[in-house]
Amino acid sequence: MIDLSILINNLDTYLEGFKNTVLSSIIALIGSFILGVIIAIFRISPLKPLNWIGTAYVEFIRNIPLLIITFFFFIGLPALGLTLSGFVAGTIALAIYTASFIAEAIRAGIQSVPKGQMEAARSSGLTYLQTMTKIILPQAIKIVIPPIGNQFINLVKNSSILGIVAGLDLMYFGDIVSSTTFVTFDVYIFVALFYLVLTIPLSLGVGYLEKRLARNH
Amino acid sequence: MIQFAAVNKYYGDFHVLKDINLKIEKGEVVVVIGPSGSGKSTMLRCINRLESITDGKLTINNTEVNDKKTDINQLRRNIGMVFQHFNLYPHKTVLENITIAPIMVLKQTKEEAEKTAMYFLEKVGIPDKANSYPSQLSGGQQQRVAIARGLAMKPDIMLFDEPTSALDPEMIGEVLDVMKALAKEGMTMVVVTHEMGFAKEVADRIIFMDHGQILEQAKPAEFYANPKEERARLFLSRILNH
Ligand SMILES: Nc1ncnc2c1ncn2[C@@H]1O[C@H](COP(=O)(O)OP(=O)(O)OP(=O)(O)O)[C@@H](O)[C@H]1O
Ligand SMILES: [Mg+2]
Repeated sequence: MIDLSILINNLDTYLEGFKNTVLSSIIALIGSFILGVIIAIFRISPLKPLNWIGTAYVEFIRNIPLLIITFFFFIGLPALGLTLSGFVAGTIALAIYTASFIAEAIRAGIQSVPKGQMEAARSSGLTYLQTMTKIILPQAIKIVIPPIGNQFINLVKNSSILGIVAGLDLMYFGDIVSSTTFVTFDVYIFVALFYLVLTIPLSLGVGYLEKRLARNH
Repeated sequence: MIQFAAVNKYYGDFHVLKDINLKIEKGEVVVVIGPSGSGKSTMLRCINRLESITDGKLTINNTEVNDKKTDINQLRRNIGMVFQHFNLYPHKTVLENITIAPIMVLKQTKEEAEKTAMYFLEKVGIPDKANSYPSQLSGGQQQRVAIARGLAMKPDIMLFDEPTSALDPEMIGEVLDVMKALAKEGMTMVVVTHEMGFAKEVADRIIFMDHGQILEQAKPAEFYANPKEERARLFLSRILNH
C-alpha cells in the first residue's frame, strides 16, 4: 500500500513545491502565449525579414531539448555574467520553448482558413488588419484552441525541468522528500498526483471549449 | 472605365497574360470565355489587384491600379467581386456578411447598412434568409447572397469569376436571372462564364482568350454564329458538344 504518512508528514514541503510549479506555469503560460502570437504573426507576415526570423525561431527552438535551453539560461548566462535563479532560468526556458509550438499551432490555424476568405474580404475594401481580426482570426481560433490547450498541458508537465536546476518546484521538493525519507516510489506518486490536480482540470477545460466552439457557427 | 494597355503578367517564368489591350466602357457587359488555364481568372483578378501585373498599364476611371500611390482599399470599394465558390464568411449570418464592408469601409451605421442589405436581399429574392448562416443555404442561395454582398457597396463595377460553375444545374438559372437583371439596369460587368444563354441575352461583347492572349472580341450573336479564330471555333464545338 502507498504510505499516506509520507504525504501528511511532508505536506508543507509538497505544497511549497506545488505553489512554485503553479507560479512558474502561469508565468510561462502567459509569456509563451504572447511570444507565440508574435512569432506566428512574423511567420505569416508578408515581410520577408520577419518571416525569416519567425521561421528560424520555430525551427531552432522546437528542435532542441528543453533541458538544453534551460541549461543555457542557468549555466550559460552566468558564464556571460548574468546569474539567474533556477526558478527564473527554468521559467524563461519553458516560455521560450513552448512559444515555438504555440506559434506553429496559430500559424497552422490561420493558414487552414481558405484563401477565398481573405480574397473576398480584401476585395470588398477591408484592410489587411480588418480582415485578420474580423474574418480570419475568428475562424482560426476554433482550430487553434485544442492544440494550444495541449501545449499548455505539456507546459505544466515540462515545468518539472525546474527540479533539475534547483527551481524549487514540485519535482525539486519531491527529490528532497525522497532523500530525507529514503522512500522513492511513494514520494513520486504524490508528486504525480499534484501534477494531475493541475493538468486534469486544464484538460477538461480544453475539451469543454472545444465542444462550445464546435456548437457555434 | 476599365482599360488594359499592353498588360503582361508572369508567374515566375510563366507568361500568363500576354500583351492584353482591352477597353471596357461604363455600363458595358463583357463576357470572357476560353479554355481552362487561358488566363481568364488572372485577367479578372488584376482589375481589383488580387493579382498584380508585371508591366503595361491598367487603369480604372483613370486611376492606375498598380500605382503605389493608389489607395487600393478605396479603389476596391467600387469594384464588387463574386467568386466561383461564393466565399461567404461562415461564422457570420447572411445579414452580417452583407453589412460588414459597408459598416467598416463606408462607415455606415448598422441600421443604414442593414436597410441596404435587406433591399438587396429582396432584390436577389431571399430576404427570409437574412438571419441564416451560409451553411444553411443552398449553393444558389449562397451565390445570390454573395451578389447582394457585392452590390451593398454600391460599386461601379461588378466582376464575376465563373459564378455558376460550382452550382447544381437546377440552381444556375436563379443566379443568372439576378445577373441578367443587374446587366439590364446598366451595371458595368465583367463576367467569366461559359453560359451561352446569358451571354447572348445581355452581353455587349464576348472576349475569347487562349494561352494568355485575347484572340477575338465580337458581339455575342456574331461570335457564336461565326467565330473567326480557328481556336475559338474548336473551343465552341467542344463546349457545345459537352
Ligand atoms: N499563383 C499562381 N502561380 C503560378 N501559376 C499560376 C498561378 N495562378 C494561376 N496560374 C497559372 O496561370 C494560368 C492561368 O490561370 P487562370 O486561373 O487565370 O486560368 P483560367 O482561364 O481562369 O482557367 P479556368 O477556366 O480553369 O479557371 C494557369 O496555367 C495556371 O496554372
Ligand atoms: Mg478561372
